Amino acid sequence: MADSRFGLSRRQWRATITAYLFLGPALLLLGVFTFYPVAFGTALSLFDYDVISPPRFVGLEHFRELWEDRFLWIALANSTKFLLVVPVLQALSIGLAVAVNVPLRGIRWFRAAYYLPVVTSMVVVGLMWRWLLEQDGVVNYALRTVGLLDRPISWLGHPDLALYAVMFVTLWKGLGYYMVIYLAGLQAISPEYEEAAITDGASRWQVFRWVTLPLLRPSILLASTISAIAALKVFEEVYVMTGGGPMFRTYTMFFYIFDKGFQQLDLGYAAALAVVLAVLVMGLSAANFLVFRQGGWSYY
Amino acid sequence: MFSTRSRSDCVHRERASGRIPFAGARSSVAMMGRRLVFIPSSLVLALGLICALALALSPSAGGGAPSVTLEFWTISLQPFFNDYVNGLIAAYERATPGVKVRWVDVQFAAVEQKLLAALAGGVPPDVVNLNTETTARLAERNALVDMDEAVPAQARARYFEGLWRAGAVRGRTYALPWYVVPNVIAYNTAIYRRAGLNPTEPPQTEEEMIQHARTIKDRARVYGFMPNVDGVRLLHRFQENGLPILSPDGKRAVFNSSEHVRYLGRYVDLLKDDYFPEDTLRRGYLGATERYSGGQLGMLITGPQFLLRVKKDNPEVYAQTFVAAYPRGKGNTLHLATMTVAVPRSSRNATSAVDFALFVTNDENQLEFSKQVVVFPSTRQAAADPFFRRGGAGPEDVARKVAAADLPYARDLSVIVPNAGDLFRVFREAVESAFYGKRTPKDALDWAVRQWNARL
Repeated sequence: MADSRFGLSRRQWRATITAYLFLGPALLLLGVFTFYPVAFGTALSLFDYDVISPPRFVGLEHFRELWEDRFLWIALANSTKFLLVVPVLQALSIGLAVAVNVPLRGIRWFRAAYYLPVVTSMVVVGLMWRWLLEQDGVVNYALRTVGLLDRPISWLGHPDLALYAVMFVTLWKGLGYYMVIYLAGLQAISPEYEEAAITDGASRWQVFRWVTLPLLRPSILLASTISAIAALKVFEEVYVMTGGGPMFRTYTMFFYIFDKGFQQLDLGYAAALAVVLAVLVMGLSAANFLVFRQGGWSYY
Repeated sequence: MFSTRSRSDCVHRERASGRIPFAGARSSVAMMGRRLVFIPSSLVLALGLICALALALSPSAGGGAPSVTLEFWTISLQPFFNDYVNGLIAAYERATPGVKVRWVDVQFAAVEQKLLAALAGGVPPDVVNLNTETTARLAERNALVDMDEAVPAQARARYFEGLWRAGAVRGRTYALPWYVVPNVIAYNTAIYRRAGLNPTEPPQTEEEMIQHARTIKDRARVYGFMPNVDGVRLLHRFQENGLPILSPDGKRAVFNSSEHVRYLGRYVDLLKDDYFPEDTLRRGYLGATERYSGGQLGMLITGPQFLLRVKKDNPEVYAQTFVAAYPRGKGNTLHLATMTVAVPRSSRNATSAVDFALFVTNDENQLEFSKQVVVFPSTRQAAADPFFRRGGAGPEDVARKVAAADLPYARDLSVIVPNAGDLFRVFREAVESAFYGKRTPKDALDWAVRQWNARL
């Protein structure tokens, strides 16, 4: 063709341009709201910046300070503990997905009900649970009524309980979301496999353990990766319910970044913390892929 | 209605005349012709819009439209004081042609963060209501206008000297003192009676207050009080009891003497014995006000302005409320929370902003505000008004009289230190660790003192 440039025909050019036009809007949004902030944040980690005075270049100083920062280790420990939510959440979501994956009359209402917390704002959920978990709240009242408690407990105020109370709320809110992922996974499994297993004399548990669960691996990979990232990035629950206290027991990495950046006005240091967290999240996601490699890589 | 119809009529007419592009176009020639007509009409429209915009933005537009708009942030004054603040603004706008004031009310818990975000975004308010500690934190970062420099000596002399200097950083004042609020004790007489206590004999000392709280818990089965000992507020309690926080030169923390340890230990034991709720450490005065409003707390240690909240939330409890003076400790002083009005350095209208801040805090306006709610003015002339010596039957009237009698003993006990955020964080952690049995009171205070001294 006379008009071919870079070895592309007119038709190929048109296809390429069309493709880029489709990619354009998403790329633009990603550029503005993801790539630019990532680049800006990474650069900011090399500066001292407190909003009020002009930024001052400090190189890798913040990263050196990090190793001696007591709060970094506190926040990392709390965020790591928060990862305990992931397996519990996945197990419960799979159980719930199996429970609502039956052709019962009105089952859609149940699915919608379980999904409702997902579409409710985290601030609303946090405030609601904060009231429920207050020392004079409904949870204490109920537990005392049935004789499980002698005196009301400050679930969000006690250093040994607060983190677990916040984790419970994260779990409660996320359950419906992961249930939908697993429900889609379950419905993608051809019934023939399960029928074959039943014909071979497998029990319901054996079918679930040896047929359904292995075939759910792609969904488990997806859901556990998303969930682990979300657990490391937990913020709203902590902000609304405990403010990082008591005794910094709910002071998670994201909360620390927020606190350092927007309350202590040390934006450069906060950016350095964010870089560290980003590296950790990437490492964790890669590890997740490795764990679920079988049935994982082959799908993604 | 009118605009919809006329616009649609217009569209029909334009379609009929072919001025709307592509409307009913059947041939490319016709389309081209319409495009050619469309371009000049678009240009005319665009020029028209630009002219209209330019007219709207010109200073003389609208014959005397304001040339300066000040943004004024207050803390939690809506909805109770809408009329007062709106009246204040209207009076200022009348007296100062060319200046318009836009009022934004922010919740106490959000004000510092919102302000920082506004400073970072380059859109600061012009005048902002803060408390002493936040003022000091921002002043430390050189974010506020130096009021010693911006306010003429004659205007400065209107304020009480002690209040003008409250929260000063490096010897300079960065905000005008606005209103001050000493604590009082509001107590529920019905609970007092249930506990077998005489409602006409409120506690006179801190020890009596503790005894009353124990009696209420033991006999009336509700908590007697939620003492103000959470986090930084314990620093005020120490000082009220004559226990210093810093060495005289301000270079060393000294709040770990045996007296300090004994004071903290007393409250640790009270918590252990369930004489005040654990929530006290987390929910502060808001939690206490909620619990009191719900009829679940015997005594509320509060700034009298919170009685309005009780009145609104539960008129029945309000009707049972008596007010007594907050007991003075060995230090013979009381913490006096001071509200300030500051002007960010990055305000584009700093001169007008200082003028408005002076207007907000002038004698007349402060006196008027004090008549709306139980707060006290920071200016000498307003405070001398006979209004403050007048009593009355309602809890608020009593609170005003009681608090006015306490004013001579009150001063702002906020601890102004460099790196205040870090130091207060450490102190809070130490206090919580003592209350939750993770450290003994002595270990907790020793640890906090070491941490402070390493940072001071």
